[in-house]
Amino acid sequence: MSLLLDRLFDGITNGCVYAIMALALVIVFRGSGTINFAQGELALFTTYIAWWLTTLGAPIWAGLVVSAVAGLVLGAGIERTLIRPVRRRNDMAVLIVCLGLFTALNALAGLLWNSETKVMPSIFPNGLDDYVAIGGARLYFDGLGVWLVVLVVVALMFLLFNRTRLGLHMRAVANAPESAALSGVRTGRVLMFGWAVSAAIGAVAGVLVTPLSPQQLGLQTMFPILIYASAAALFGGLDSPIGAVVGGLVLGVLQQLIMGYVGFIGDTLPQTAALTIIVAVLVVRPTGLFGTRQLERV
Amino acid sequence: MPAPFVLTRGTWPHRLLLLAIAALAVLALLWASGLAQFRVSQLTSVFIYAIAISGLNLATGYTGLLSIGHSAFFGLGAYTTGVLVMRYNWDPLATIAPAVALCFAVGFLIGLPALRIRGLYLALVTLAVGVAFPELVRRFSSLTGGARGLVIRRRLLNPPPWSGFGPGERTQWLFWLSAVTLGAVLLLVHLLVRSRAGLAMVATRDNEIAAAASGVRVATVKTSVFGLSGAVTGLAGCLFAMYLAALSPDGSFTLLKSIEFITGLVIGGAATRLGPVVGAFAVVYIPYLTSSLNPSNVSQGQLSGVLFGVVLILIIFLMPDGVVGGLSRLSGRLVQLRPARVNTPTPPAPEENNHEASPLPGGRDDRDLTARGVQ
Repeated sequence: MSLLLDRLFDGITNGCVYAIMALALVIVFRGSGTINFAQGELALFTTYIAWWLTTLGAPIWAGLVVSAVAGLVLGAGIERTLIRPVRRRNDMAVLIVCLGLFTALNALAGLLWNSETKVMPSIFPNGLDDYVAIGGARLYFDGLGVWLVVLVVVALMFLLFNRTRLGLHMRAVANAPESAALSGVRTGRVLMFGWAVSAAIGAVAGVLVTPLSPQQLGLQTMFPILIYASAAALFGGLDSPIGAVVGGLVLGVLQQLIMGYVGFIGDTLPQTAALTIIVAVLVVRPTGLFGTRQLERV
Repeated sequence: MPAPFVLTRGTWPHRLLLLAIAALAVLALLWASGLAQFRVSQLTSVFIYAIAISGLNLATGYTGLLSIGHSAFFGLGAYTTGVLVMRYNWDPLATIAPAVALCFAVGFLIGLPALRIRGLYLALVTLAVGVAFPELVRRFSSLTGGARGLVIRRRLLNPPPWSGFGPGERTQWLFWLSAVTLGAVLLLVHLLVRSRAGLAMVATRDNEIAAAASGVRVATVKTSVFGLSGAVTGLAGCLFAMYLAALSPDGSFTLLKSIEFITGLVIGGAATRLGPVVGAFAVVYIPYLTSSLNPSNVSQGQLSGVLFGVVLILIIFLMPDGVVGGLSRLSGRLVQLRPARVNTPTPPAPEENNHEASPLPGGRDDRDLTARGVQ
């Protein structure tokens, strides 16, 4: 029982990280119509900024704030200068610009702060004794902290989407960009805001998650997270924020359970098994769990 | 501006031009084979990349099936060759046929979900394959050597006696083997794209529903293209195994390799016939040339990574159809190819890496196909 709870807790912590990154991907997708391949490396870059500030003596929460602001600025700047000019051409072009950013940002982080692994301080107490025991299982405070932050971010996003004018504009642009523009929504600004918000979310996720990961902060830290976040976003349905959160949590828990209980594949093929299940679900529901079907007129 | 010079397909001037280009390509190869061993080896890897990217081009460029799992086909081909040579004492050349057949079968299977799943969701299916491959290699370590890798003894990779190369001339042998294979692959792609099947592929890419309504069997097209595409990339994997002689799951067969293939395809020009060759030159030489710019060894490869990303973005801004697409548009102003009025046999395809000089307007030509395919 306690082992099951342990695995569930680990799974939920991982799942929270996938969920928040998947949410960032979905926000960009709804506006720009593509998966932002550079999302992970944007998060990596802003996390390096936070780490760099801590080496200068700043507390880690200040690093978190600065990296989130850096994410806002970077995201908005990238949308305005690199994405908007090619967006009208086709989705493939946006995807390739993202691939270029993916390569360039990763290498730039390595160029500025060299490619050695960094130890990232944690915002939450993360000693071996910092846990609460629930049913014999240990729920560590840093994991719990991640849950809470993700909960807050998700709640903020839902308030933004559903209770504010800007959120209404974002939904309008996602639904029908041309009609939105005709009704006076400033489409360009809304898209820029979407990129800025998702880059900031990525920055928060990066600062929170790197102290948890065994590899700490290295140039490879964010790539696997991006892969699983994309899988989660697709699983939930690319245009659905709820889907992203559900998809992320399911993927995280599924990985841990497979690793723990399916002996003959678990210890060597956790990723493969989890992705295979997702593909099987997609065969039944080709646009993910919560995604809307695209209707096409010929 | 002067009017462009008009050439009709299948006439003597056109054939002579193609012959001249082929002759130039052969001459360039002969010249290149005399370079220092390191250069020859580098060019061999360019050819291997070009074959792999040609495979990707069939699925992603011509049929519009975005794949980020082609590293798995590359690896499957490489490991089939490696395992058959080391564990079962096969002759390296004899392993090509089973490897290609295996990759075709796997590609066909991956194509099956493509019947229901589209676009980025389909990319997730290929992503799963790309993630699975290194894990599977590690899982079946008794066969593949697992995480430690699989080393093929150099002695087993010596050129066969009939080839005319001595046992010590492995570099030359692989150079010519890869060059000839690349030529054959380019010819095959050229013939395929100009055939009815090629029309069906492009029609499926441009509008699936309209294609189906016009009688294209979309399901057959998608699955067989995935199979064929995987087979060609697997073929490149076989050559890669002979070239590198040491395989490891985390070295060359991860998702990053797939991203390299996509990058090469876009730089060269998707849905152009010579784009993969140009793209292969770019992905091999840009990192190599920029790494020599690095002043210190501390951040080796980082500067080249930054430049690589910048080049990729610049290409999208300046040459949206890739280098070959852009060049063929330029050359279209000088020389125009006009299709023959009656159905003459297809003229021979240009050989090898004559991308700079080629007047074949790949992109333009494809747009014609689109229009005819989807009316």
